[in-house]
Formats: sequence, C-alpha cells, structure tokens
Amino acid sequence: MKAFLKSKEMSVAVIILLLCIILAFISPVFLTADNLLDVVKGNAVLGILAIGMTLVIITGGIDVSVAAVTSAVCVVLGKTMMFLPDSPLTIVLIFVIAPLFGVLLGSINGILVAKIQIPAIVVTLGMMSIINGLVLYITNGQYLNSSNFPTVFLKFSNFSVFGISIIIWLFIITAALTWYILKYTLIGREVMAIGGNKESAVRVGINYSKVQIFVFSYMGFLAGIAAIAQTSYTKAVDPNGMLGLELMVIAAVVLGGANIMGGRGTIFGTILGVLLLGIIQNGLILAKIDTFWQKVFTGAIILIAVSYDHIQYKRSQKQLSKIEVEA
Amino acid sequence: MSEYLLQMLNISKTFPGVKALDDVKLEVKKGEVHALIGENGAGKSTLIKILAGVYQPDPGAQFFFEGKEAKIRRPIDATMRGISIIYQDLSLFPNLSVAENIYIGRDSDKHSWKKVDWALMEKTAKKALKELDFEIDVSTPVEKLSIAQQQMVEIARALAFDAKLIVMDEPTSSLSAGEVEKLYEVIFSLKKRGISIIFVSHKLKELFTVSDRFTVLRDGKYVGTYHANELTEEKLITLMVGRKILYEKNKEKAASGKTLLEVRNLAKEGNFKDISFELREGEVLGITGLVGSGRTELAQAIFGINRPYKGDIIINGQKTVIKSSEEAVKKGIAYIPESRKTQGLILRQSIINNISLPVLKKLKNKFLLINRRKEIELAEHYIQSLDVRPPLPYRAAGDLSGGNQQKVVIGKWLSTNPKILIIDEPTNGIDIGAKSEIHKLLRGLAANGMGIIVISSELPEVLAVSDRIIVMRHGRIAGELGIHEATQESIMNLALLGQKGKIREEAQL
Amino acid sequence: MKQVTLSKENILGLIAIGLFVLMSISVPGFLSSNNLTNMMFQLPEFGLFALAMMVVIVTGGIDLSITYTAALAGVAIAILSSNGYPMIIAILGGIAVGLLCGFMNGFIIAKIGVSPILVTLGTMVLFEGLILSITKGNSISGFSPEYTLIGNGYYLGLIPLSIIIFLFVAILTSVLLNKTVWGRSVYMVGSNPVASLFSGVNNSKVLMKVYLYSALLAAIASIIMTSRYNTVKVDLGSSYLLQSVAAAVLGGTEIQGGYGKVIGTLYAVMIFQMISSGLNLMGVPRPIVTVIMGVILIAVLIINFIKVKADENKQKKLAETA
Repeated sequence: MKAFLKSKEMSVAVIILLLCIILAFISPVFLTADNLLDVVKGNAVLGILAIGMTLVIITGGIDVSVAAVTSAVCVVLGKTMMFLPDSPLTIVLIFVIAPLFGVLLGSINGILVAKIQIPAIVVTLGMMSIINGLVLYITNGQYLNSSNFPTVFLKFSNFSVFGISIIIWLFIITAALTWYILKYTLIGREVMAIGGNKESAVRVGINYSKVQIFVFSYMGFLAGIAAIAQTSYTKAVDPNGMLGLELMVIAAVVLGGANIMGGRGTIFGTILGVLLLGIIQNGLILAKIDTFWQKVFTGAIILIAVSYDHIQYKRSQKQLSKIEVEA
Repeated sequence: MSEYLLQMLNISKTFPGVKALDDVKLEVKKGEVHALIGENGAGKSTLIKILAGVYQPDPGAQFFFEGKEAKIRRPIDATMRGISIIYQDLSLFPNLSVAENIYIGRDSDKHSWKKVDWALMEKTAKKALKELDFEIDVSTPVEKLSIAQQQMVEIARALAFDAKLIVMDEPTSSLSAGEVEKLYEVIFSLKKRGISIIFVSHKLKELFTVSDRFTVLRDGKYVGTYHANELTEEKLITLMVGRKILYEKNKEKAASGKTLLEVRNLAKEGNFKDISFELREGEVLGITGLVGSGRTELAQAIFGINRPYKGDIIINGQKTVIKSSEEAVKKGIAYIPESRKTQGLILRQSIINNISLPVLKKLKNKFLLINRRKEIELAEHYIQSLDVRPPLPYRAAGDLSGGNQQKVVIGKWLSTNPKILIIDEPTNGIDIGAKSEIHKLLRGLAANGMGIIVISSELPEVLAVSDRIIVMRHGRIAGELGIHEATQESIMNLALLGQKGKIREEAQL
Repeated sequence: MKQVTLSKENILGLIAIGLFVLMSISVPGFLSSNNLTNMMFQLPEFGLFALAMMVVIVTGGIDLSITYTAALAGVAIAILSSNGYPMIIAILGGIAVGLLCGFMNGFIIAKIGVSPILVTLGTMVLFEGLILSITKGNSISGFSPEYTLIGNGYYLGLIPLSIIIFLFVAILTSVLLNKTVWGRSVYMVGSNPVASLFSGVNNSKVLMKVYLYSALLAAIASIIMTSRYNTVKVDLGSSYLLQSVAAAVLGGTEIQGGYGKVIGTLYAVMIFQMISSGLNLMGVPRPIVTVIMGVILIAVLIINFIKVKADENKQKKLAETA
C-alpha cells in the first residue's frame, strides 16, 4: 500500500482526480454516468491498443504500425461482413477473423525484430507504410458504410450488459486478460523479466526472441480486437480514420508510467494514461474550449510528465549510488 | 563412480582470430572449494561460459558431470543439471520480487501458458533463504536490496535449483569486509552440505582462505591443479604469470615543485566528505581504498562531472569552480577513467579520432575547420612515442588489445598537455608486461613535471608508482602515508580499520 | 591513400545510377524534361527533411516533430506576410519560430535528459495543436509573389532555385559534419556519449545544436514548400515524417547512432524520388508506391543482416583454416 502511494500510477491518479474536480465545477454534465461512460467508450480503441503497446514497451520495443494494422483489420472486417450471413455465427466468425489477421501482421513485425534484428522502430515504420498503402489501394480511400453490414453486427454494436456498452466490455476484458497474462503466466513473467534485465533473462534460459515475437503478435491480436471495437463504435470503416493514432497510443502508455527504455509499466497505469487523455478531451469539449486546443494540452502534458518522470528517475539513481559516508 | 563431480577435459575454444582456450582441463571434487585462477585474458571466463552453456567448446571436448557424460547446449541445461553460475554483475531482475528471482528459469520455455504458482514460488524461495539463514521479505523487489543481499538471493536461487556445483565469479568485488566474512560463512556451510564451489577471484589472500585446490590457467592454456598446501602466494603468482614478477617499490625521490592542485574540505553528499590534500609538480599521489570508498567519485568531482560539491578546488593558487569536463580540460586536468571500453574510448572510432577528441578545438584552421593533417600527425606522434601496436592510426580503437587501448587513452590525454593527470585503475585488465610499461610511463611523466594522481586497488601498483599514498575509507581520508612508511599491510589497515599501526588479526584476510 | 571500396554509400550510389538507367530505358517519359523538372522540384523538400532527420539519428535520437516544426514556421511566415511585413522579415520570423521549436526539443533532451522519442512525440502533438489553434484547421495563404519564386523559380531559367538551395544545404551539412569540431562531436556523442563526456565534450551543447540544426533545415524545407504551394496547412509535409526516417536508414545511417553520411542520405532520397516518379509515370497507383517504399526499406535491412551474417561466417572459416 505504501509502495502504491509513492508509485507513478498514484501521481497519475491524483492528476486525474484533480482534473475531475475542476471539471465537475466547470460543467455539471461532467460527473454524470452517461458522460463518463461516453468518455470510456470513446477511448476504448485507444485503450485496447495501449494495453498491447504496454507489453511491447516493457520489453524495450515500440510499435508504430498499430494504427495501420488496426485499419487493415477494419477493412478486412468491412469487406468480409458484406458476404457474411445475418446470423449470430457472423459475430463468432468476426471474433476469429479479426484477431487472427491481427496476429498474422503482428507476428511479421515480431519475426523481423527478433530474427533479423532490425530495430523495432524501423521495422514497424516499414510495415506501417506497407499496410497503409495497401489499405488505401484496396479501399480507394472510400468509407465502407454500415448499410452493407449484417444487422446482427449492428445489434452487437449497440448491445450492452449491465448498462455498459459492449465496446467498453471489450476494453475491460482485454485489460483483465492482459493483466492476468502478465501476472500469472510464464510468458507474462518472462516479458517482465526481459524488461528488468535482458542479459540476466538470457542467462536464466529465457528465449528472448520468442518473447519478442509474442509481444508483437499479442499487439497484433489486440489490434484485431480494437478493430472490432472501432467498427462497432463508428459502424463504418474509414480507412484514414486512424492515421496518427499510434502516437496517441504511445503517449497513453508513457503517461501511464511505462519507461520507453523498457522494464517498467503496468496495465493499471496504462488505463490511467488512457483515461487522462480521454478526460482532457472531454473536459475541453465541456468547458467549450476550442477542440483545437486539445492537442496543445495533450502535448504539454506529455512533455511535463516525461520531464518530471525523468527528473525523479535521476534523483532515485543518485540515491542508489550512495556511499555510506561516515559522519 | 569417479571421485570428481565435474570433469571438463580437452576443452578448446576458438573465436575468429583467437584461440581463447587450448586443451584445458578442469576437475572438481564433490564438496570442495576449487579456485580457478589466472590473469585477465587467461581464459577463466571463457571456461566458465562453456560450463554455463553460453559458449560451445570446439569439437573433441569431453564433459562429465556426476560421472556421466553430459551435454550442455544452453544455459538452462546447466541449471537443470545442478550447475549454477553467479556472475560478477549478478543475473537478477531488479523489477521482480525476491521470490520470483529465486524461482525464475525453472520452467522450460515449452510451457509459455503455464500458470505461475505464486504460493509455490514463495514457499520455494523461503525454504532456500532459510537454508542460508538469511531473513528477508520475499515480496521485496530486488532493486531495493544491497549488493550483498542481492548476492544472497542469487545463492538462494542456486540452492532452490538443488545446485551441486556453484560457480562464483569475483563474488567479493563489491562487498564490504563484514559482508565478505558473511559470504565465507555461507561458502563453508554450502561445502559442509556437499556442494562444490568454483571460486574465481583475483585476490590471492582471499583464495587461500576459502579454497581447497587451485587450477591455474595462463594464456588460454592449462598450467596445473594444486592443493592449497602445496602453494604459497608467491608461487601462485609465478604460476599465473609464468615468470617471477613482483613490482619494485618506488624508490625515486619526489621532486617537490610548486603546488598544482589543492583540495580543501571537499564534500558531496553520499559520496565523500572532508577531503583535503594537495598535489605538487612532479609528484605521483596514490589514492587507494576499497572499491566504494569514494575514490572514483572524488576524481570525477575534480574533473567536473560529479556535481555539485561543497568545498574548494584550488588550481595554481586560484580558487576554481569546474562545472564540466570541458572546463576541466581547459584548466589542464586530464582524467583517465576506470573503464576503457565504455568510458575511456570510443571503440568504433579510429585511433586518430580518439586521440584528437579532447584537443579538437586546438586543431582548427583559419576557416574553423579541423586540420586533418595536423590531427593525423598528432595521432602518429603518440602512436610512436607510446609504442602502440599495431601502429595503424586508421584502425578502430576496439581492435586493439587492452594494453594498447590504454596507451591510446593515455596518448589522447597527453595531447592536451595536462598539468594534472588523474588516472583511475591504470592497469585494470592489462597483462603484466604492459603493466610495468605503463608504470614506467607514469613515473616518466612525473619526472617531467606533471602532477599525477593514481587511483588503484592494486596495492603493489600503488606502491610501485606513488610518492605519497592517501587511503580512503567510507568516503573519507583514513590516512596518508609517505612511500617510505607504506607497506601493503599498513595500507590495508587504514582501508579496513581506518587506523595506522599493526594490522589486527581478524582483518588479516 | 584513398581507394574506392564498395562502402555502403558507394553501393547505394551504384543502385541509384542503375535505377536511373533502368527507369530511363523502361519507363516512357522518365527522361522527359517535364518529369526531370518535376523530380527536381520535389526532391529538395524531401531531401531537407531527410538530412534533418539524419543528423538527429546520428546522435542516437529521432525527431518526430520536424514536419510540424516546418508547418509552424510556415504559419509564421504566412501570418507575417499577410500582415504586410516584407518578405525577408517574414522568412526570418519563420526561421526564428523553427529554431524556437528546435530549442524546446534540445532543451528537454539535452538539458533534462529525456529520451528523444518521447520529447519529440510530445512536441509533435504540441506543435500540431498550436497550428490547429492558430489556423482553426484552415489553410492560410497570402504570400507575396516574389516569395513564391523561391519554390517555383529557376536559376538561369533552367535549374530550379529550390534544388540549388538544397544542394547548398547538403554540402554545408556535409562540411559541418565532417570538418568541424561540432560535427565530429556529433559522431562521437552518437557512438558513445559516456566516453565523449569523459573526453571533455560538452554533450548537451552538441545535442542542443543538433536539434537546432534539424529545426533550421525543417524551416528551410517549409519555406520551399510554402512558396511552392502558395499555402500552408497543419499537415504541411507531414507525409515526409516517416519517409525521412526511412531515407536516412536506407542511406546507411545507424538508428542506434554513431554513423551516417550526407551522401548516403542523398542517394537514398534520389532512389525514393526516382521510384516514386517512375512508378507514377507507369500509372502505378499512389498507395502502391507507398507499399513499395516500405518493402524497399525492410528488404534493404534484411539484405544488410544477411550480409553481416555471411561476413561473420567467412571470418569464422578463415579462423578455422588458419
């Protein structure tokens, strides 16, 4: 408990709390259940991707192709749904096709990073370019409308359990599943171990390239889930709709306390990071501040957060290197 | 069943261009502490890495463990057979708990999705720690522990794996005297339980305290295996270096020129305190003490990269505040750091580029561009005068041997024409022949009027080069000795106990 | 002393020449004056971004904010011009704004020590937000006619002015990197920042200048682009962000820092430009060109990897037979 109070998650939580208090004063709408649920729903895709990115960043990697992969899966979904029957089986099929296709693309990233040893940022840059090009070519940049989707999918999109939209549930389930994997499976612990000390990991027999392939494939898997959430949310496929989202995803993970050099990062922190970004956006809308300012705020907050974090880190390193000087 | 727990026979290992091991043998009995010794580059760590499964030996090697032929292809194979390696820099995960660090590596990677049993993990960890009589909360993250505690965690990991053989690579290098004692106790208790230990160390006294038998390597070749009672320290050194070499104590008389550097009441929280000394022209001042006594931190403060500090630094009679390494160079201070490969040199760059780096600003022509011709001449001058081999200025610094690399670093700093040269562990990882060459060089520089501070843990070295010796202990100056009164014993006495006089029995390790 | 060996850069140069020949033969209209001028007009802006990115990557960093730095500088120029300030003031104002952006990156990276990818990610979002807030998402125009000459004019009626500016900057960058103390320090800091610090190099000064220089090149790219299009919008040049990383890497720059040459980057930019124009002439759809760019980037790195492995094996065999 004491450790938690001092943790980075705590400071993000405090910032969110302060923001909420301020916003509650500014707008009575803010603290309503509907508004808060809307915030979460609107950021579920960002959240699902950020959770996957957390694992990638813990192992010291980065994936800038997430938005492209998600778009690609969205397009595949949109195209196949035109041929799928209007039966519950379609939903099952969607949950098979989307993750599978995502894993396929993610594992290509993983194999190139792990086996060919190309830096992750370069591999995923290349993949991003390739996938974005293909998506644009196939769709011609055109929207795929919901008019072609089976009604069962539209029903699924509007479905809610305990008054909570299925899209939010997808986010919650993803978070819980990933948390479980990180905490309770061997591969999850290996991800943490590699983040902690790569060399030691190899010495104790952890297969580094296997773990790398896993994190990138899992990122792809979640991109598949995110694509389902995105298609459900917009009820259409916009091939350009997610351009630049990868940077917001990385921003959310970093705001949540993960260290870009690897080793640190928690699912809980990332969720807080996503919420922080979501609440800023929502708050600006409610405060009737021009939405254009949203990016200014986000940018400033990222800069302040990473600078503050780094100063704290340097301070803690100093404490570590202390020699017991006799008084 | 043979009397040996481990037999490694006909072990050779060839790397591109070098034969690191040539027909080496290592035989360890059950329940013995076996010292593996040799100079840097003798092949100890290569042999350990073969034992650990990190490297594969050349064909023809024979490997027996518990009397049976064993194949170790990967690190996990060694661990599973009960061979645990404790590396000098430890193999721990700072972000994971003690329990997990002890348990990790247990499952083969085929079971990626296996559920982690936290309860079993903690139970195993607690049991192993109990066997060591070491109490600690197993849920603490390892990053919160001291180095000595981390080492215990690592030994506990070995026990949890039912290790029959534990290799300890320089285990005492960053421990305090008290912690070393505790480690010896642990080693003796492991031995009593029939666990064999391979102990790799440079500290001869320490080896005689714990080891039953010694295997000596030299230049990648097997020299022999000896019982402790067949050996003396002197004989061991002769076996290691192949000839009898002991440095001679410095007998030259120090020129007492004017004071170049004066340090008054220098203090930095958590690093050092109450440091006052002066350095004169033509003098070599030795600073020694245990690792972690604040020597390096002090040197880096004077060089402007360990800031901020309290107190005064006075250069040529003028109070000076040095805010960066750039300013230190301008003030005529040179600092040769401890680690050549990471701090001293830029390995991928050429010898020329390394040597000219601190004086680039002085090599500008009237168009503000670097005068390449002058730069090459400068490098060639130092390659020649310091006898760097091979004398190829365009070669990457990383291609040179340790001794030649150190000469390049020295050349680089001589090019700045320093008044004050601070050199940290000048011969770390350099073979004996090159060592005395560097000692001679330092004496020569002092004779020409330079003021030199030599920081070293190697007492014979300190005695061989210094005119005066300052001993540090826990961030303070424990005492100062003139070269005539200084002996290894008197220095150790100050370093360990902080007092002059006869060394006490319990510290005689 | 110096002999022509097949360095990374020379291989790229040969590929560039080969590609030129191949395109000239197989793509009708590639050698037409129309296409050649088009390429010469497009190359400078991309090339400037690639050089800006390369200098940063040599230090082991990355600058995700360059295109928005350029856009912000462009907005400043547009505002100054449309308020009636003379061209030279407008341009200087734009450069000043660009340098300010670079200073912000440099300050947080060099003085505070935060990793470049995070800082420039933050400033990228920040600059984008600033542009959006100022322009409300609209495009601004209103440049003076003489200003538009920079991006559209010819020198001696033959060579585009912009490519002369670009070549000048490329030569300048090469001289700065290879012949000056700062340039040498850039490589040293990129190779091993600890060792350079221990050698009396003021790392943070070096890094600060790197981010300022990168911003300066972005501002120049911005001048060329805004004068060519006669308008500025938030996404000015944004497609060049990842392409410039790709060009630097393809040009042999090591993403971990310590190595990278102007000439390599130049060849890479030319290769990208020729492929893009050539495919365009062949009627290949734009998106497929993007795909091919990505494939080339990854393919080059895979080939590099195979080559390194092969060299290692060769060495091993040599050692065994010796």
